[in-house]
Amino acid sequence: MTELAPARDRVRRRERAVTSPGTDARRVLQLILAGTWLLDGVLQYQSFMYTGAFGQLIGGTAAGNPGVIARPISWDAALVEQHLVLLNTLFATCQLLLGLGIAYRPTIRAALGASVAWSLAVWWLGEGLGGVLSGGASPVSGAPGAVILYALLAVLLWPTGRPGATAPFAAARAVGAPAARLLWLVLWGSLAYFALTPANRASQALPDMIAGMTGGEPGWVTGLQEHAAALLTGQGLAASIALAVALAVIAAGVFLPPPLARGTLVLALVTAAFIWVFGEALGQILTGGATDPNSAPLLALLALAYWPLATAGPRARRPQADGPPGNDDRPEGKSG
Amino acid sequence: MSTPSWILGIFGAVMLLIAEVSAGQLVMARPWTRRDIAGAGIAVSQLLTGIAMAGILVPGLTTLPDAAWDVAFAAITGWFAWCLWQENRGRGAAAMARGRYAPHLVQSATMLYLFAALTGPITAGSGTSTGSMPGMPGMPAMTGGTPALRAPTLALILALLLIAFTVHDLDRQAGVDGVDGVDGYFQAVGRPPVPAGPALAAAAERLLLSPAVAKGCQVATGVTMAFILIIMI
Repeated sequence: MTELAPARDRVRRRERAVTSPGTDARRVLQLILAGTWLLDGVLQYQSFMYTGAFGQLIGGTAAGNPGVIARPISWDAALVEQHLVLLNTLFATCQLLLGLGIAYRPTIRAALGASVAWSLAVWWLGEGLGGVLSGGASPVSGAPGAVILYALLAVLLWPTGRPGATAPFAAARAVGAPAARLLWLVLWGSLAYFALTPANRASQALPDMIAGMTGGEPGWVTGLQEHAAALLTGQGLAASIALAVALAVIAAGVFLPPPLARGTLVLALVTAAFIWVFGEALGQILTGGATDPNSAPLLALLALAYWPLATAGPRARRPQADGPPGNDDRPEGKSG
Repeated sequence: MSTPSWILGIFGAVMLLIAEVSAGQLVMARPWTRRDIAGAGIAVSQLLTGIAMAGILVPGLTTLPDAAWDVAFAAITGWFAWCLWQENRGRGAAAMARGRYAPHLVQSATMLYLFAALTGPITAGSGTSTGSMPGMPGMPAMTGGTPALRAPTLALILALLLIAFTVHDLDRQAGVDGVDGVDGYFQAVGRPPVPAGPALAAAAERLLLSPAVAKGCQVATGVTMAFILIIMI
C-alpha cells in the first residue's frame, strides 16, 4: 500500500494544480497586508509596550477630542495601565493572529472581518480617531491614523468579486469601482485638507515636525531628517501648499483615464515614500517604540490596489468557481 | 519593565518543539539512505536553529558558546547560498526568491547575524525601553535598557524578509506551489515505506513528515526570529 503513496501524491498534486486559481494581484496585496499585521504583532511585543509609557501614549490621544470620544479613550488607557502585561500581550497576539489568518487562505474572510472590527476599535480607543477631530491630524505624521487604513484595505481587498461588474483595478472588485473611487477621493482629499490646516501650514510646522522625529533613530535616519528639516526651515507654508496640491491631484487621479491615473498613482507612491522617510521616520520602528509602521506604507499599498489593470473587465464577469477562500475569483492578469 | 520572561519562554518552548520535530523527521525520513542531501540539510538546519533560538530566549537552554553557533550558522548559510545558486543558476533573482532554499538561507543568515550582533558591545541609546532582557547569552543585562543589536537597520531588513517568507510559506498550497517531488523537507519519491507496526506509529510518521508540519515549522521559526529581531532593535 505504502509503495503507492508517491504515485498517489503525484496524482493529487496534479489535480490540485488544475483546480488552483493561483496567486493574483489582489492576493499579493492581501499578503502584503498580512505581513504588515504580522509586523504590527511583533512590534507590539517590544519592551516599550510593557512600560507605563504605552498607557500614557494611549491616554494622550484623548486630548483635544470631544468628551464623548475622549472619555472611552481615557478609560481604555487606565485599563491598559492597570493590566498592562495581560492586555498588551493580548493586543500583540491578536495582531499576530490577524496576519497569519489573512495569509492562510481558509481563514482569510474571518481574519479580514476581524481586522476591520479591531482596526475601528483601535482607531478610536488607541489612536483618538487619528487626531481628525482634535485638529492635530497631519498627513505627514500619520493622519488619518494608520489603523483605519487597515480597515479600509480589508474592505477593498475582501476576497469576493461582484458578479456582472467590471474591475478596472483590484480595489474595485469587492465594492465596485464607483464606491472604491469615492473612498479614495475622501481619503486623499481629506489628507489635502489636513495639509492646509492652521497647525500644519505654519512656517515652522513641517520642519519642526520632521526635526522632532530624530530621537533614538540611527545616524543615517537622523541625518536625512536633519537635512530635510534644514531645507524646509521657514518654508512651511510653501511646502504645505505643494503637499496639498499633490494630495489633491492624487485624490482626483483615479477618475482620470488609465495612463493619467497611473501617473497620479506613481505620485501617490512617491508622496507616501516621502512621508514615510521624512515625516514618519520609517514609522520610528528603529527606535524600539513603534506600534506599527505608520500610515505611509499603507497609503502605498492602497495606491497599488488602485493600479489600473491591463485586462480589467471581462475577467471580473466570470462566474465564481469552487476554490479556497481568497481565490474565489480568477486571476486578474498582469497589471500594468 | 521588559518583554515578560514568560513570553520569551513560550517562544523558546515552540523553538524546542520545532527542534524535536526536526529530529524526529530526520530519524523517520532517513534521508541519508537515498542521498536526499537537500532534505537532510534543511532538517538539520531547522534542528540547530530550534536549539540555538531556544537558548537565546531562555537562559537555561543555552547549549553552545556564541562563537560556536556563529561558525555553525556561517557554514549553513554558505551551504544554502551555494544550493540556491546551483538550483536557480541563470533563472534570475525572482526565481531565486521563490526557490526552495531562499527562506532557509534568510533564516540561517539571521541566526548568523543574531549571534554576531549579540556578542558585540551594547549600543547605548538604541532603544527607548527600560529594564533588562533575560536570556541573551553574551549580553549582560543593561541597566535601564534592553540589550540591543548592532546594526539595527539590518535587523529590521532581516525581520521584514522573514515576515515576507512567512506569509509566502503560509499562503503556499501544499503540493501545488511547492517544489515538484518534494513533500515537506524531503523527497517524496524513494522514501522508505512505513514499516509494519502499530497504526498509531504509522499515523505519527505520516503526520511528522507531512507538508503541513514542515510549513508549520517554517512559519513558527520565521515569526519567532522576527520577534527576536524586533524586540532587540
